[in-house]
Amino acid sequence: MTNRERTMNILHYKEADRMPAVHFGYWNELLWEWAEQGKIPREIAERWYDGSEAERELDRMIGWDFNWYRTVGSDNGLRPGFEYKVLEVLPDGTRRVQNGDGLIERIKPGATSIPSEDDYLLKDREAFEMLYKPKMQFSPDRVNLDYYRHFNNTRPTDIPVGLHLGSVLGNIRNMTSVVGMSYLLYDEDEELFADIVDTYAEMQYKCAEAILETGAKFDFAHYWEDICFKNGPLIAPDIFEELCAKHYKKRNDLCKKYGIDIISLDCDGVTDKLLPIWFENGVNTMFPIEIGVWGDQFEPARNKYGKGMLGVGGMDKTALRVDRAAVDREIERMRRLSALGGFIPCPDHRLMPGTKFELVQYYAEKIKEIQ
Amino acid sequence: MSILIEISENLQKGKAKIVKELVQKAVDEGIPAETILNEGLLSGMNVIGEKFKNNEVYVPEVLVAARAMNMGAQILKPLLAAEGVQSTGKVCIGTVQGDLHDIGKNLVKMMMEGKGLEVIDLGTDVAPETYVQTAIEQNCQVICCSALLTTTMGVMADVVKAAEAAGVRDKVKIMIGGAPVTQDYCDKIGADVYTSDAASAADAAVRLCNN
Repeated sequence: MTNRERTMNILHYKEADRMPAVHFGYWNELLWEWAEQGKIPREIAERWYDGSEAERELDRMIGWDFNWYRTVGSDNGLRPGFEYKVLEVLPDGTRRVQNGDGLIERIKPGATSIPSEDDYLLKDREAFEMLYKPKMQFSPDRVNLDYYRHFNNTRPTDIPVGLHLGSVLGNIRNMTSVVGMSYLLYDEDEELFADIVDTYAEMQYKCAEAILETGAKFDFAHYWEDICFKNGPLIAPDIFEELCAKHYKKRNDLCKKYGIDIISLDCDGVTDKLLPIWFENGVNTMFPIEIGVWGDQFEPARNKYGKGMLGVGGMDKTALRVDRAAVDREIERMRRLSALGGFIPCPDHRLMPGTKFELVQYYAEKIKEIQ
Repeated sequence: MSILIEISENLQKGKAKIVKELVQKAVDEGIPAETILNEGLLSGMNVIGEKFKNNEVYVPEVLVAARAMNMGAQILKPLLAAEGVQSTGKVCIGTVQGDLHDIGKNLVKMMMEGKGLEVIDLGTDVAPETYVQTAIEQNCQVICCSALLTTTMGVMADVVKAAEAAGVRDKVKIMIGGAPVTQDYCDKIGADVYTSDAASAADAAVRLCNN
């Protein structure tokens, strides 16, 4: 069996010879750490990104079968993006920059964390109409149609490949920061935030439609959202449903029309309050199910929604920083979850600094023993 | 409806401009600033805090309520100083060294201000010594540390050690919180209080300041 067959069979409750060893990539700092330790060539740390040749090479070194996040898509963000510019350099070396989303960030030299959100351009109707709306329009050149016309003959056949559908709210949150999103939700212009979501979503729908109309075939479709945190969603579920549900449904119905019946969604944090909205509107695969840091879990969702709810993830990646006994405990937990069917273990987020190379190899070897 | 109730209710809805107008109107009517603060602004934030704790409202509702509170508080600030009104207590807060995430820290700060605490915001990427030095210089009763990452939460232990090294461990309480932080970790490093959400953190800080 190929890993593509194994994966599709498991997610359709059919027999598979073994579990595929699936991962979700790495923090760049970890790859540099491994390079310093002599575990991997420096070129891999330099050239790695999701789905890259460097990744396939690293997969072979570790024993992974594939990265779930190996998806393909379109240029479905702001087009053109805002000019990246340094606005200010503070005395401690911190740079205030405007990024491609129009978000003003503080980037501190040496800090390994993501940048800190400082300000944003998308503050009102005028900014939306003048600055953002023109960048949110569909045009055919957002999609590499030639690539997709030949996709079925050129795509890897040994691993599943997903169509990236973009995001309904996460990208907009990236443009505004959580604070800006919150203020826009309660703006005096009550229609403004909905207009932003609708405009952006329509463009992303048309991108997906253009790809699928070429006849390109995909094993699954995938969203990125990251709209939850430790204590649940970053937005009230009823507001999220009102703003976003129709867009998930429209995009997911399109996927189903083209034969894609596995639709996963990447959301960090505790997702249980948004799950019903996603599930009822066609998203059926939880990913990456962050149990280690946030306590998100697959089994309660399976119990609640039944066999229609699938999962990829759920393995506490922090065990890969500890020892074999900790990994063994996770393997046993994954064995129990895998027995539910429709579930593929995967580290519950990108592997972080401090992760031990040999333990990852050990995990990748042992997880394949699950049948 | 009493103007103080109106202030509280509009604050809960995040109506910043209306809150500002109502606070000014209350001042003009001769209501003491402390009464407006406690029975209008802080009363509204208390309701939001409880609802947030119970998942009845979410981060956006807290943020817009806090914005409304700040707009009202700006009017009251000079009047409160003139009336000699003391804060409930004094806290310094920051995200630990190496970590630039500040949403959680900011939420805790807003909730603490909503409880009438004076909060010194040290920002993000804060060195252990900075927390301790600030607490000493500003007479803070509580140091509050936030971390989002498993790779940075270890700095919280360094804050505890820095307070010990400075000889102030018995004078200042240390609170910790953030995504990867747990009660077990709090116990392990010898911090005083862990809370799992922003509203509980504010309640705990008030308790610590009152002890």
